[in-house]
Amino acid sequence: MKGLWYVYYVPRSTPDVVNDPELGRYSDPSLLVLASLADGPKHGHAMLQDIATMSGTRLGPGTLYGAIARLEREKLIEPLPPEDRRRPYRLTTDGRRVLRAKLATLHHFARAGLRKLEAR
Amino acid sequence: MNRRLARWLIRWAARLYPTTWRNRYSAEFDALLDDIAPSLGDVCDVLGQALRVRATVFVDEWLMLAAVRPKPLRLPVLVSVTAHAVMLSFLALASWDYVTQMPLYVAAAPLPPPAPQAPPQMTDPRVFPQSPALYSSLPLGVPAPGALHLYVDDGVGINFLPLPDIGATYRQGNAEWRVWPGQALEGAIIRRVLPEYPRGTKTGGTVSVFVEYLIRQDGSVKVLRTSGPAPFTTAAQSAIERWVYRPVWFENRPFEVVTRVEVRFDSDLAESGMSP
Repeated sequence: MKGLWYVYYVPRSTPDVVNDPELGRYSDPSLLVLASLADGPKHGHAMLQDIATMSGTRLGPGTLYGAIARLEREKLIEPLPPEDRRRPYRLTTDGRRVLRAKLATLHHFARAGLRKLEAR
Repeated sequence: MNRRLARWLIRWAARLYPTTWRNRYSAEFDALLDDIAPSLGDVCDVLGQALRVRATVFVDEWLMLAAVRPKPLRLPVLVSVTAHAVMLSFLALASWDYVTQMPLYVAAAPLPPPAPQAPPQMTDPRVFPQSPALYSSLPLGVPAPGALHLYVDDGVGINFLPLPDIGATYRQGNAEWRVWPGQALEGAIIRRVLPEYPRGTKTGGTVSVFVEYLIRQDGSVKVLRTSGPAPFTTAAQSAIERWVYRPVWFENRPFEVVTRVEVRFDSDLAESGMSP
C-alpha cells in the first residue's frame, strides 16, 4: 500500500523540476492561437505547426478547435473564406488588442520575476 | 497506434460534439485530421473536448445564456417527469405528516355488546341460581337472620347476572366501555333506589326485566337497554338511573363500566306487602 502511495503521490508532489520537459512551455491554447495569428491568417494545420515551433507545445485537434470556437464566439478571431477544405482565420481588431495586452502583461510579469531571481 | 485507426476514432469522437458545432467546424476539422498524424493522445483530446463542449452547451441552455431552440416535449419524457413529480410530492407530504400512514393491518371492528342473555325459564321462582349467597331468593319471604336482604323489598328483587363477556371492552366513539360484573361493583355503590312495583298492572306472577346500564366516569348511571314488559321496564329504568356509584378505576384511570341486572317483580308478594 505504501509503495502504491509513493508511486502516485511522490511524482505529483515533487516533480523533477530540472528535467521536466513541460517546463518552459506556455500552454494557454487561446493565447497560443492568438499569437499564432499575429503575423497573418492561418488555417488549423498551419496554426498547429506555428504553435509547436513558437512555444514547443503540440496542441491536440480537439484543444485547437475548442480554442478557435471560443475565440470566434468572443469575436477575437474571424474566419476567412475556405481554401479547398481548409478555412483560415485571422485576428480581429479586438483580438489584436487583447493579444497585445496579454503579451504585455506576460512581459512585465516575466521581467519582474527574472529581476527577483537576479537580485538574490 | 495505427493512424487510420486513430483518425477513425477521432471522427467517431467528433460525432459527440453538438450539432451546431459539427455543422460549423466538421469540414475543416476533417481536413486537419488528414494533415496531421494523429495519436492516441489526440483521440483522448478530441473525446474530452467534445464532452466538455457538450456539457458547456447543456449548462448554457439551462442558464438560458445561449439561444435555446424550443424542443417538442415528447410523451415519454412528459410521463416520466409527471410520475416523478407525483412521487416526490407524495414523499414530501408524507414526510410532513400531511398524508396519513396506512395501517399495516385492518383491525377487526369491535363486536357490539351482546344482547342481555335471558336466564333459563325458572319453574321455581324461589331460586336465584346466579347469586344464591348474596341475595335473598324470591319469593321474598322473611330472610334468615344475617342474610342479605338489602335489595329485596316490596315484591321487587334484583339479581346480578352472569356476564359471558366480563372484561370485554367496547368502543363507543371516543369512549371505552368495559364490561364489569355487578357483584364487583357493589363496593362502589353510593346510592341505590329500588324500583317500585307498577301498581295497576294486570300482569300476575313473576316478571323478569333485564336492564343493561352504563356507569359513567362521574359515577352516574345511564340505562342503555331494557328487555321485558313496558310498565316494568319503565319502573326499573327510572329507579336504576337514580343509582350513584363512585367512579370506577381500572389500571390507574377512571373507566366507564357496563353491567347488567335482572329486576324481578312478584305480584303476589307486592300485593301482600311483604317486606323484610
